[in-house]
Amino acid sequence: MRVRADPVVVAGAVLTLALVATAALAPAIAPYDPRALGPPLAPPSGAHLLGTNDIGQDIASQVVWGARSAVTVSLGAALVAVVLGVAVGLGSALVGGAADTVAMRVLDVFLAVPQLPLLVLVAALAGPRQANLVVVIGLLRWPDIARQVRSQARSLRQRGWVSAARGFGGGLGHVARHHLLPALGPVVVTLAVTTVAQTLLVEAGLAFLGLADPTAVSWGLMVNRALRFPGIFFIDAWRWWLLPPGLAISLGVLGFMLLGVGLEPYANPRWRRRSP
Amino acid sequence: MPPRRRGHRGWRLAGGYLLTLAVLVHLNFLLPRLMPGDPVDALLDAQSPSYVQDGAARAELERYYGLDEPLTTQYGRYLADLARGDLGSSIRYGRPVADLVAERLPWTVLLLGSSMLLAAAVGLALGVHSAWRRGSAADRGLLTLFLTVHNLPVFFVGALAVLVFSVELGWTPLGGTRTPFDDPANLLAAAADVGAHLALPAAVLASGLAASYYLTMRATMVGELGADYLVLGRAKGLSERRLKYRYAGRNSLLVVVTWSALRLEGLVTASVLVEVVFAYQGLGGLIFDAVSFRDYPVMQACFLVLTVLVLTANLLADLACGRLDPRTRA
Repeated sequence: MRVRADPVVVAGAVLTLALVATAALAPAIAPYDPRALGPPLAPPSGAHLLGTNDIGQDIASQVVWGARSAVTVSLGAALVAVVLGVAVGLGSALVGGAADTVAMRVLDVFLAVPQLPLLVLVAALAGPRQANLVVVIGLLRWPDIARQVRSQARSLRQRGWVSAARGFGGGLGHVARHHLLPALGPVVVTLAVTTVAQTLLVEAGLAFLGLADPTAVSWGLMVNRALRFPGIFFIDAWRWWLLPPGLAISLGVLGFMLLGVGLEPYANPRWRRRSP
Repeated sequence: MPPRRRGHRGWRLAGGYLLTLAVLVHLNFLLPRLMPGDPVDALLDAQSPSYVQDGAARAELERYYGLDEPLTTQYGRYLADLARGDLGSSIRYGRPVADLVAERLPWTVLLLGSSMLLAAAVGLALGVHSAWRRGSAADRGLLTLFLTVHNLPVFFVGALAVLVFSVELGWTPLGGTRTPFDDPANLLAAAADVGAHLALPAAVLASGLAASYYLTMRATMVGELGADYLVLGRAKGLSERRLKYRYAGRNSLLVVVTWSALRLEGLVTASVLVEVVFAYQGLGGLIFDAVSFRDYPVMQACFLVLTVLVLTANLLADLACGRLDPRTRA
């Protein structure tokens, strides 16, 4: 897929790369251990670039390490959602009949549930370990993907080359692997990128409610802690304690969102036919 | 497609929703029992941070889950309790969960309802306007603004709103549902107090939804613009205003209504976070407390009640859509 230097894609790619690089290099970038204690509520200075929180933890280091949990959980959850969504969407489009009907009813149930209360319940019951969060968020995010993959696959199925492959004796698995998946590739990539933006928001929201891995540093949890501090808005600390994690979440989501919006034209089959 | 009788369609819809509800009621029963370990483990383990000190609460908890009994007995009792409106007892408050939920639910409904109205008014009007003047500076500005708002974490927006409107400008209270220990002189004063506390959380909640309304309305309406009936209307000399709102706007509204029912799930999610930021005493605040205290019966009840709320609203929107569209009328 050749992507022209569209400013939206470039902006999205820069933000996304910055986030992933920060997450990967967290130990090298962060000046302090994010849990180490120091002078409480110190304003930004040479020693603490973004100051410290109420128990003296370095905010800059926490923001850097927060990128790691954000990327781990959101990418992991998006992967679960994409794999499940593509499997169910493709399978149900290919098999059709009763299996398709059942899959669509299950989808409707998932789409109607208020997700946060369910997530809260499951995450609290299972314990908010990172692995659990990945699976739980992923399990709630696949229906959107399944629905779109199914409708695309159904229209692809009607094309001549798929019928030809079937006519030459290609099984369903062969058709799915060699004909549908490659054609669906760009759509799936775009869906995956937008899904990461969503899972990033969900992870932050859950952490904000206190459901984050207790062994990791999370942006949502940082915002939560800042807001729970009595009178946070009446002292200057909100500038360096509340703004950095909030902005980090916003920029991270914005990066994946822009990348998704920018890639959309390339995933549109009508657009693709004109420039193979 | 031949016109179907409306009664038939209504029943079919309701049947689908009842099926969904049945699945979720069972999920609510199975979830705590399928999880590794069981919910009582964490609460009865003296090492755990959510250890329940109160002996009576512990006994109540064991009775509520009845984990020593066979699954079928537990299942029968769960359904019987649910039918009687018994949602168990809160670990933290030691009160029936049904009472807690009944106290909080009206506030959440008020918050959801007012922000939906606000979002629909602002989002739809701007969406129509933007599509009509697509490509203009105003359109591009609005599109960028709403695309950004659409993806901001709502709790961060809420915190910034408190900072600007409550702390710096002093226009609204810092949070809460009503002024504590305040005894308003009359109904009007009480309503004004509730309204003042409601304004900011409702506006923050509405901002994200207004963005969705705007984006959908704009996209639908842009697709509608080249339609033959608009060309004919213009040839007949109808006013721009009439064409814009009565013709193109009304036709696009159908799509938006169908779609907005699906968005309600997202609105409920956002409302939980907004209620926490503003210490609003609705179900979201209750969920937050329940998370801090691992108050499982409360979490389960909130999940069930919010699910019923969303499903009911979806059903109503589906039925309303049938009435809005003359083509589905018998």
